[in-house]
Amino acid sequence: MLENILYILYGYGSAIALGLKYTVIITVTSYSIGIALGLFIALLRVYGSRLPRALLTVFVEIIRGTPMMVQLFFVYYALPELGILLDPVTASIIAIAINSAVYQSEYIRASISAIPYSQFESALSIGLTKFKIVWIVILPQAIRVAIPALVNEAIYLFKYSSIAYFVTAPELMYIGKSIGSKTFLYMEVYIILAFIYIIISILLTELAKIIERRHTVPSFIGSKV
Amino acid sequence: MESNILVVENLWKFYGREVILKNINFTVKRGETKVIIGPSGAGKSTLLRCINLLVRPDRGRIILDGDVITERRDVHNIRSQIGFVFQHFNLFNHLTAIDNVLLGLIKVKKLPREEAMRRAKEALLSVGITEELWRKYPAQLSGGQQQRVAIARAIAMDPKIILFDEPTSALDPELIWEVLNVMEKLSRNGMTMIVVTHELGFAIKVAHEVMFMDGGTIIERGPPNQILLNPKGERIKRFMDRMWYLYSLNRSSKVA
Ligand SMILES: Nc1ncnc2c1ncn2[C@@H]1O[C@H](COP(=O)(O)OP(=O)(O)OP(=O)(O)O)[C@@H](O)[C@H]1O
Ligand SMILES: [Mg+2]
Repeated sequence: MLENILYILYGYGSAIALGLKYTVIITVTSYSIGIALGLFIALLRVYGSRLPRALLTVFVEIIRGTPMMVQLFFVYYALPELGILLDPVTASIIAIAINSAVYQSEYIRASISAIPYSQFESALSIGLTKFKIVWIVILPQAIRVAIPALVNEAIYLFKYSSIAYFVTAPELMYIGKSIGSKTFLYMEVYIILAFIYIIISILLTELAKIIERRHTVPSFIGSKV
Repeated sequence: MESNILVVENLWKFYGREVILKNINFTVKRGETKVIIGPSGAGKSTLLRCINLLVRPDRGRIILDGDVITERRDVHNIRSQIGFVFQHFNLFNHLTAIDNVLLGLIKVKKLPREEAMRRAKEALLSVGITEELWRKYPAQLSGGQQQRVAIARAIAMDPKIILFDEPTSALDPELIWEVLNVMEKLSRNGMTMIVVTHELGFAIKVAHEVMFMDGGTIIERGPPNQILLNPKGERIKRFMDRMWYLYSLNRSSKVA
């Protein structure tokens, strides 16, 4: 078994590394787009006018109510019918980013509403405009509240980027499957993959703790009504 | 006209069909300290919120230093000229004491950092918040310290008037004094202030005029001794009797 594992690492190490590279690219890109878009959706849903609010509510419910796989297949297989042809990696990034944006928007929205209105009001009273209040008083507090959920989302995406396998994006799972079918050492291949996923998840968790510690403010929530 | 920094004319406020403020009229002179007392629900907070336009009055005019602010659209400019001190302090929870004071100076007044720093320090020292507390977060400060930082935040903006909405009623008794003391000093130094409070000692000692509000109107006004000790109307008499009763209970419990 150990021999086989070493054999795979030796013979297919560079292929696995390439797979990992695509997994990381898909995860990082879709997460970044997701958080930016999620922030935008959250802000519009909290502070926007009625129409965008209603439209976004419908959008969020549609995405949350359907499996990520359906969204991915829609982007990869259905959009070409409208003349939008995407390569597997791009299609995966788009589908995962939209899905993640919706969830991240919910985390951010919840944390915005956890900030008491009195914070907004006291910012108004010193003469700040609404726009500035959101950026320099509300969001810095809300994001701190949201950090644990946002970090979880990153770990989740790292694992579930493997869904890109189904549209043949050459990420870890896809590479693993093809090594497996060449060598018939499925057990060993998937042990290696599991190991990689676990190590990176642990690293992300530790990174999260560091970020949280950096930005911690002595019990800043709950201290005031 | 010159000596009046604030004129409130014919002010009305409704929430739905309910009248909250009914034809409020008064003026505040430069350097004057006015105390407002009255039972819960009288409309005291609403009145203060109307003055700095946190709440839009439905009718009437408010004139600040010759400027009809109820007709202005750049509300935030007006608000930067009016200090507001809240019952629950409302410091920005993610910022240290000094950053709380700096925020308005830098983001609203657009002062260069050094100048802002100088003013923030000056304001904090004037309310007795010394250097070792400047880098503390609100949650690390006592209520009295938080409220003094909030007062410093207001003072630093160099406002034309400061509005206090029950600034000591969320504080433990032994912390009330330090805040009232700062306010008294502020008043003596010529700051114009409107203070909603039930601290009778402060009102007697510091106020130039006391207004008694009930049911959305000003029922009686006059020098503190007259309003607090010899009020005319039945309603205010009853209210003051109760207030003095509580006040003396407070005094004797502190002595005991
Ligand atoms: N946003 C609001 N919507 C509806 N009614 C309101 C609102 N704010 C205040 N009121 C009502 O207006 C009346 C006056 O409220 P206000 O807070 O001004 O009273 P107050 O004199 O400050 O009382 P307290 O001593 O309890 O602080 C109350 O009856 C209150 O219920
Ligand atoms: Mg009130």
